[in-house]
Amino acid sequence: MTRSGSFSGRLARAEAPRFNLGRLRSARSAAFSGFWLLIVAILVVPILLFLIVAVSPALLDQGPQWFTLSAFRQALNGQLLVAFVDSTVVGLATALLSAAIAFWLAWVVLRTDVPGRRLWTGVVFALLLTPSYLIALGWERLLEPGGVLDVIGIPDSGLRSIMYGPVGIVVVLTVKGIPFAYLAISNALRGLGREFEDAVRVHGGGSFAAIRTAVALVAPGVWAALAIVFAESISDFGVATTLANDSHFLVATYALYNAIDAFPVQFPVAAAISALLLVLIVLALVAQNRALRGRSFRVLGARSRPVERAQVRPVPKWTNALGLAMLLLLALGVPAFGAVSASLIDGLGSLSGSHRWDLSNYRRAIVSPDLAHPLVYSAWLAAIAATIAVTLAVVCARMLATRGGTPAGRILDFVLLAAVALPGIVFAAGYIFAYNLPFWGAIRLSLYGTTPLLLLAYIATALPSTTRVLVGTLSQVQESMVEAARAHGRTSLQAWFSIVVPVIARPLVTAWLLTYTATLLELPVSQLLAPPGKEPVSIGIETALGKYDFGGGTAMEVLAILSALLVVGAGFGLFRLLAPIGWRRIGRAQ
Amino acid sequence: MSSHSRIAAAVLAVVAVGSLAACSAGTTSAQTSNSPSTSTSASASAISSPAAAVQPLVLYAAEGYDAVMGKAFTAKTGIPVQVDDDSTGPLLTKIAAERNNPQWSLLWVDGDTAFASLDKQGQLLDYKSASASLDAAGTALEPADHSYSPTGTTVMAALIYNAAKVSAVPASYQDLTTAAYTGKVGMNDPSQSGPTYPFIAGVMNQLGGEKGGIAAGEAFYQQLKSNGLKVFPTNGDTLHALETGQIDYGLIQSSAAVGETLKVKATATYDPKIVYLPKSTLLPSVIGIDKADNAVVAKEAEQFVDFALSPAGQAVMHTGDPTGDSLYWPVVNGVTPLKGLPSTPPVYQHIDPYFWGPLESQVVTWFDANIK
Repeated sequence: MTRSGSFSGRLARAEAPRFNLGRLRSARSAAFSGFWLLIVAILVVPILLFLIVAVSPALLDQGPQWFTLSAFRQALNGQLLVAFVDSTVVGLATALLSAAIAFWLAWVVLRTDVPGRRLWTGVVFALLLTPSYLIALGWERLLEPGGVLDVIGIPDSGLRSIMYGPVGIVVVLTVKGIPFAYLAISNALRGLGREFEDAVRVHGGGSFAAIRTAVALVAPGVWAALAIVFAESISDFGVATTLANDSHFLVATYALYNAIDAFPVQFPVAAAISALLLVLIVLALVAQNRALRGRSFRVLGARSRPVERAQVRPVPKWTNALGLAMLLLLALGVPAFGAVSASLIDGLGSLSGSHRWDLSNYRRAIVSPDLAHPLVYSAWLAAIAATIAVTLAVVCARMLATRGGTPAGRILDFVLLAAVALPGIVFAAGYIFAYNLPFWGAIRLSLYGTTPLLLLAYIATALPSTTRVLVGTLSQVQESMVEAARAHGRTSLQAWFSIVVPVIARPLVTAWLLTYTATLLELPVSQLLAPPGKEPVSIGIETALGKYDFGGGTAMEVLAILSALLVVGAGFGLFRLLAPIGWRRIGRAQ
Repeated sequence: MSSHSRIAAAVLAVVAVGSLAACSAGTTSAQTSNSPSTSTSASASAISSPAAAVQPLVLYAAEGYDAVMGKAFTAKTGIPVQVDDDSTGPLLTKIAAERNNPQWSLLWVDGDTAFASLDKQGQLLDYKSASASLDAAGTALEPADHSYSPTGTTVMAALIYNAAKVSAVPASYQDLTTAAYTGKVGMNDPSQSGPTYPFIAGVMNQLGGEKGGIAAGEAFYQQLKSNGLKVFPTNGDTLHALETGQIDYGLIQSSAAVGETLKVKATATYDPKIVYLPKSTLLPSVIGIDKADNAVVAKEAEQFVDFALSPAGQAVMHTGDPTGDSLYWPVVNGVTPLKGLPSTPPVYQHIDPYFWGPLESQVVTWFDANIK
């Protein structure tokens, strides 16, 4: 070996690690760029293109003007201002109520021995799946003139006048908001070890002091719940077109619905209203950031201790059990009654029909071409969308959970909530604007009218809520655990999979199931983006309802919900069977 | 972004690419096989022209018989039809959003006001079927430029009432504003029910006309409201209100009303019957061809229109939704309506969609603010 050869060899060996490090950095940088490219493609571009129509209709062939503010002048009339105030009040009331109920629920289910608590995991998913129209229908079946309460002789005119108004709207939206809030808060609560409760007790604090401390420590989860429920409520279409419409309580989304549903469709006016809805979201984010600024919530570390399930004294135990039963009745009993009355009992609440139990609607639903194949199609899409959305959501939640926040995190936070605040049909119209441009055909990349574009839209629709469900947990993970693993020779990837994944495994499973169930029956995006000839199950159900086959349509809906609950059961069952015991212990009370 | 987020992003990229690839593959295989959904593919034996010359038709439709019509047309011609079957509202929203790059070949929904708007925007291909033989009502429903074709008609509104509860039967719309009907009449919400605007416009046309304007019609609806008019979202909801006794008289689309009388057996408490008040407004089911179709697709679309207006096509339309949309009055000579459908209302009118269509937003907004 020559001297120079020996030097070259040493140089080559010295350069090798640098070269590998450079490749690793390039790969990370490419992944980072790919992530943002995907966010821009599935969220930013459709939202921006839709909003831009408000000021430049000609850009997308929606009017002759290249720049105009006339859509805002049309939108900003006295009625709409009233609608915005109504939407804001309803959104705030719904968010506060949902978060408060969800925190109580999470505490009772995860930290106490109150009877009936085990039911609630299933109930939460059943609530997620229950469309708001079914909840409203249940109330109407009970309270309408000639309804069940009338038939059995219980005076209900007082309750009817209350429920057919803002109170009823808040009740229905709260029932829809509780599962989102519960999943965000319970995931955060699972990460809170016993040591904090012990510290409170050691210093003389009682149960309420312990709960107060827990509320403060799971604040990211609570704020995530408030933000997501507020955004979901102000963008809700189902209640806007049923209870709110029937009670003449004008909300902003109804004005938006009128602009889109009339013909010729007024996209510029709808875009102007959407832009104003986003202002409400900015205000919600400002409140969230001010509340969390400068504080750390990293409570989930190597020394976290499993919590002990509190042995509650008899009186509070049975009071809480009664509370759970009441909530179950209100949240699930009423819509279940609506579904049963519509699909299982012939002519209940009407002057026609035998009022006998009858399975004919289910027999028709099972063989209906609008159910079987569409359900399989939707199930596949929901499963793929859930897998991608959860993976993306981990990245998003990680960015949102960064202490103090980063500019990128704040932008991402706004984009995600903007996607929630825009009703699904508006969001889908943005997809058409973005992906039906002739330009795509010219480069032979036409995605519009294909299943992959529908899938991307499902992912984008699910991503905000999935992220919010995970952000509470990821806010708690202490970096020191990962750093310790790295110090002991693990690579970044090994440290991630051996330290972080076990900690967040259960929330990941929950988030996957949440996304699956929420996507399975998604309607507005499916209506505008499903490929011709391909029918997601929600459209099949809508078709049946559109033919006045209310019993058959509702039976199909019930069967679809049951299929989703089977998947939820299988998901949790597999986690219990296959996950290492250490993964399952995190967040579980002893 | 921390290193962990980047790792997760890398995993994401792999999962996303894999899943989308799988999904695309699934789509391709589904498109090349006989799909079990509403899409229909050409059978090899039925294709009479070279495969390359045949392009699939994309039918946006809100008719209960659209899927069976797609299959029947494919069986007859070998031309594949992809049916996007949905409510009228989402279909029109989709067409408006696609305006700079239309993806539909044909639109087939109830009501001609939207077609008049599309025609004014230059989106419809003029076509008069040479093989079709329309009767007098059908000819009256055709626009002068043949930008769309009526394939049948219902009327809006049929007055359905519960004969087991009430005996009074109105003879005119004005009767509904009298004391005998106080708090007993219901109708659909025009902002949620597609067929209801033509009904409101029809009454306005009858009372004020195109010259007299909408004021007389507005006054009529104000009187109805003062007399306790109840507004429900759609045909199904108004029927439910009738069944539950919230109202005794409902103004709904004729196909829904006739379907109710065919489905429900009369009892001591519920016996639905129908009367048509003069004048009933014709609500045609209408089909139109996209002007942006290429030459091949345009010819195929014309064939589809010919088929829909042929006795064979009309027979298929009768099978698709026998208690709903199939209950229409034919406008093709020699075609008889479905059994159970009574004869055409004696006094009816057709409103000019080119005059009343552009007023839809104004009238619906007024109704929303003043009548609901």
